[in-house]
Amino acid sequence: MSLIALKGVTKIFNRGRPDEFAALSDVSLEIEPRGLVVFKGPSGSGKTTLLAIVGCMAKPTAGRVFVHDREVTSMPDRFLTDIRRHTFGFIFQQLHLVRGISALENVILPAYPSGEGLASLRDRGVRLLDLMGLAHRAETNIEWLSGGEAQRVAIARALVNEPAIVIADEPTAHLDTKLSLDFMAAMERLKAEGKTILFASHDPLVCESAMVDRVLEMRDGRIVAERRAP
Amino acid sequence: MNWIDKQRNIVDFALSSLLRRWKKNLALLCVYTFVVFIVASVVFFAEALKREAGLVLEGAPDVVVQRLVAGRHDLISRGHMEKLGSITGVSDVKGRLWAYYFEPSVGANYTLVVTEEAAGRPGTVAIGAGVSRTLQAGEGDLIAFRGHDGAYVSLEVARVFPSSSELVSADLVEISEADFRALFGLPDDIYTDLTLRVRNPKETVVVADKIRRLLPDTRPILREEILRTYEALFDWRGGIVLAIFAGAALAFIIFAWDKATSLTLEERREIGILKAVGWETSEVLLMKSWEGIVISLTAFLLGLILAYVHVFFTSGTLFEPVLKGWAVLYPRFQPVPFIDPYQVATLFFLTVVPYTVATIIPSWGAATIDPDTIMRQ
Repeated sequence: MSLIALKGVTKIFNRGRPDEFAALSDVSLEIEPRGLVVFKGPSGSGKTTLLAIVGCMAKPTAGRVFVHDREVTSMPDRFLTDIRRHTFGFIFQQLHLVRGISALENVILPAYPSGEGLASLRDRGVRLLDLMGLAHRAETNIEWLSGGEAQRVAIARALVNEPAIVIADEPTAHLDTKLSLDFMAAMERLKAEGKTILFASHDPLVCESAMVDRVLEMRDGRIVAERRAP
Repeated sequence: MNWIDKQRNIVDFALSSLLRRWKKNLALLCVYTFVVFIVASVVFFAEALKREAGLVLEGAPDVVVQRLVAGRHDLISRGHMEKLGSITGVSDVKGRLWAYYFEPSVGANYTLVVTEEAAGRPGTVAIGAGVSRTLQAGEGDLIAFRGHDGAYVSLEVARVFPSSSELVSADLVEISEADFRALFGLPDDIYTDLTLRVRNPKETVVVADKIRRLLPDTRPILREEILRTYEALFDWRGGIVLAIFAGAALAFIIFAWDKATSLTLEERREIGILKAVGWETSEVLLMKSWEGIVISLTAFLLGLILAYVHVFFTSGTLFEPVLKGWAVLYPRFQPVPFIDPYQVATLFFLTVVPYTVATIIPSWGAATIDPDTIMRQ
């Protein structure tokens, strides 16, 4: 049974306009649970678009998308948001943390609309920050954290709704080698917990890591090669 | 509980958003409060004046009949009184004596009135607090009036009216009939005007018509007409104050519109993040509307409280001269605290609702963007 399945997915931007272009062309693939999959490719190869479609953030122009064997392609936005909230945790390339509020508030931000009491949310947030070695920085404003600390806050935020799948877009693009290795170590722990992790990256440190189970190479909106861990 | 907790969490985040942009929001709150304060003050004050005038006129006669000569008010004779008494439905016809008296030494006009209370104490007067202040005269002091023949008549101040009735009594001098007639040289069968009561209030207009036909040289003035005139006058004066502050109000509208309808880059980014981490469009809008409600409701309540204190505790110091009149004898009027729920509701719908809606519209534009755009930034 696949966790995620894409069948003939195409994504065209600016359709019908002179600057129309196809970010994805007829992509089909299946992703099994509990593994680390990396989408590798140069800039403009369609990695981010693919992750956005898999993560229910965008809809394909053509083709079908299944999550947990449930077709999500034509679902209304409200249902897609619900799936996104409960199934996926996102770590963005630019982190996208909200300035002016504390690390803890940033971590629990995705769970505010869930209706869970604030006290219990905060407890959960502190536990996650503790896992990332940041419990002592919980009340610190996000602007005062170092790059590595902010990265770990972003990871904790991705985990606050206990998602089955973690999606990270170019997670090591702005990190030095040490911070990149720290990040990979954190991902290894998540993988060990049974989570599915999807990366878009062209960083050799990520693509050639021993913990990666599968590398899908992309170019011009298509998957052109695949390598599985032995 | 789940729903309540969700609202509480969203309100919590909305408040933290407001605090993060406290400079912008504080400036907005101050200007907003000022405009609500001005509008509410004018509404409260004009209403208090109208109520006061209404209360005063409650005891006024149903109809006042004045004689006109060449289109101007003239004195009226007892003969008219007898003819009025013969009209069906009319009761209690009385002659009234009143006059204006100009005192050159202080440049003020007094209103001299003969009342039944003053009839029993010739040689004395009761004066309003305004007259007392201007002349620096208290009980027991003598006030000199220049008569029609140039001779001065001194009358003793028997009483100063309490300041609670100042709006209507500030420039008043209550005098006995004998002193009044002597001062102005009026014969016994002449009055300033006549008052009458109508047994059935619904017939007042019919009676007025009969008076016009029976006594063509007179004009009947109905109490309802005076009330309407007062209301129109105070509404008009309130309008003047509002017109004066229209510039401020316009500046506020432009300022508030700009601040409320345009999102900063930071705000757009935040909305994008919320969408990307799993907030629904409706939840983002709920959060933004809470921000709008908190600002506008706070400004509304603050403005209302300040206006209440301004009008009912400091007597509307800011617009006293315009709203109350422009005579030398300014009455010190302390309006009775009163709030009309209908007016408060009108103010609420004119201030809170448009602002909140104006806040939501641009957020709606930002919140409906695809969350994946945040991934590309």
